[in-house]
Amino acid sequence: MTGGSAARALILSCATALAAAAQAPPDVRLEAGYARVEQTGFAPADAALFAVFWRKPTDRWTLFTSGNLTYARDSLAAAQVVAAFAVPWEANEHLRTDFGAAGASFSLRSAGRGGNGSGFLRQHYVRDEWGLWFGTAAGITERDGVRTRSFAGDLGGWTRWRFMYASASLSRQNSDDWLLLLAAGQERAPLAASYELEDWQLVAQARRGPHELSASWTKRRSVAGSDVNVDAVALSGSLQLSDRLAFLASAGRQLSDPLRSLPQADIVTASFRVSLGPKPLPVMQRATIAEVRLHPRAEGGAELELRVEAHDTLAVEVAADFSQWKPLPMVREGDEWVVRVALPPGKYRIGVRANLGPWRAPRNLARVRDDFGGESGLIVIP
Amino acid sequence: MSMHRRVLTLVSLALASVSAVPALAQGPVVLPIADAKARVAVEREIARAAARGLPVQPLIAKAMEGVTKQATGERIQVAVASAAKRLEQARTLLAPSTSVAELTSGADALAIGVPGAMLKQIRAAWPVERSVAMPIDVLTELVARGIPARHALEQITVLMARGATPSQIASLGTSVQADVAAGLAPDAALEVRARGVMSLLPSPAAAAASAPSGQRRP
Repeated sequence: MTGGSAARALILSCATALAAAAQAPPDVRLEAGYARVEQTGFAPADAALFAVFWRKPTDRWTLFTSGNLTYARDSLAAAQVVAAFAVPWEANEHLRTDFGAAGASFSLRSAGRGGNGSGFLRQHYVRDEWGLWFGTAAGITERDGVRTRSFAGDLGGWTRWRFMYASASLSRQNSDDWLLLLAAGQERAPLAASYELEDWQLVAQARRGPHELSASWTKRRSVAGSDVNVDAVALSGSLQLSDRLAFLASAGRQLSDPLRSLPQADIVTASFRVSLGPKPLPVMQRATIAEVRLHPRAEGGAELELRVEAHDTLAVEVAADFSQWKPLPMVREGDEWVVRVALPPGKYRIGVRANLGPWRAPRNLARVRDDFGGESGLIVIP
Repeated sequence: MSMHRRVLTLVSLALASVSAVPALAQGPVVLPIADAKARVAVEREIARAAARGLPVQPLIAKAMEGVTKQATGERIQVAVASAAKRLEQARTLLAPSTSVAELTSGADALAIGVPGAMLKQIRAAWPVERSVAMPIDVLTELVARGIPARHALEQITVLMARGATPSQIASLGTSVQADVAAGLAPDAALEVRARGVMSLLPSPAAAAASAPSGQRRP
């Protein structure tokens, strides 16, 4: 595939995403920037990056689509389109199933020309402060007339403490895409029909308001078919410069990914992201940012105190049935937004949202569905 | 003025201003729904509910919630119609209760899937002149926390039969909430807390003896 057809694929994906975006108010982001790519046996290459990200939540699921293009004049070009669904379970609020598919076309100096398709299915168990997942994926690559197949399984867990996130995962990949392995300077075992890799990965992430900093470490070793034994470290961050503009940077090693036919490379990127639509900043994590406390009053009822842990650049709103669903004014106290209301005994429903995102229940309240595709927190005051 | 007082004052002002916004059951209701066709339909739905003798405050609140949550006019109309239907069901199930609080509580319980028969059971557990809004609200909260409705109902009706006050029943929900936040399974938290409340109540025999005769419904 040439750089021209990669560009056509990207334009098609952008057009599809933008056409869909026109029908609803989704979260749309455009990203453009520069990348420097180093691969074993080749001189470093400069490349241009362009990406479109589109996210549309509905009552019961969220659709993510994205398209991206990496292009350099010396035949380093790749275009990728991804569509993924996140579907929460009706029967259990802690369960969520993600599935999706990705397609790519590429013309790479280290790994030939061709196309790739892959799909994944992942089951999550999600609590407020931690979660677990396991999943499986499969991919087919056609490169220079040769078809290869890859399979993977992974499991992992994550935890959060205030603004810090950490995750650990283990994945195994089986593939007969030898070219990717050889392009990374690895040896093929004599007579081996396929190879199997095992990755241990640790990721630490800090999120402060709309800003993010992430670091990952991956230890890859061969299980069969090769002598791979490699470490990879990568750093990335985003700095929100204004409501709609963010600066992103990353540096580190990208290990080969047989599922998506990505070759191993050391990559440095710098780009700008423009957010369009009614949700200019990333929406905060659901329900985890707000908490309700009750302080009983001598005269009956209680003072309800709602605390929202959010950066002071975020627009945080609280509405409830006791305010006839009019947003209540909040004040800044330390790192939190706070509102206090004296209420008589009774049942109340409360919603919180950040940056015009979906209305969510405070994390320590019972959650009930509203009639508008969202949810509210429910509390009974003695 | 301390920060704490200032917040309370601000909120009081906000509440005072919003409480004056909808003309609650006093003359025609004008709702801030942008879609004129949907607005007329919602207002007609509310007028129909009023004509059937249903309280309109919960319906206006539902419409205002939809407006705040930027729902489409059509969706607000469907939500208000559903809420009116649930209020009517609650009125039948909780008869002869007709208070706004009880009907609203009953309708909200039905909305999260509490079976209608359970509302009847709760109504039957207390004399008719005693509001069952709080026991129904606690049942709704416990069910929303994932506690099986049958189990939650059992604990609440036992407390009602033992002479627990609405405040004691409400504190059951608050305590379960605290336990769940501390990591206890909702079911186990309810068991523990219900026993705690019961230890403060008179024995079943004493509760029966102190109940005024003729007040208990069959």
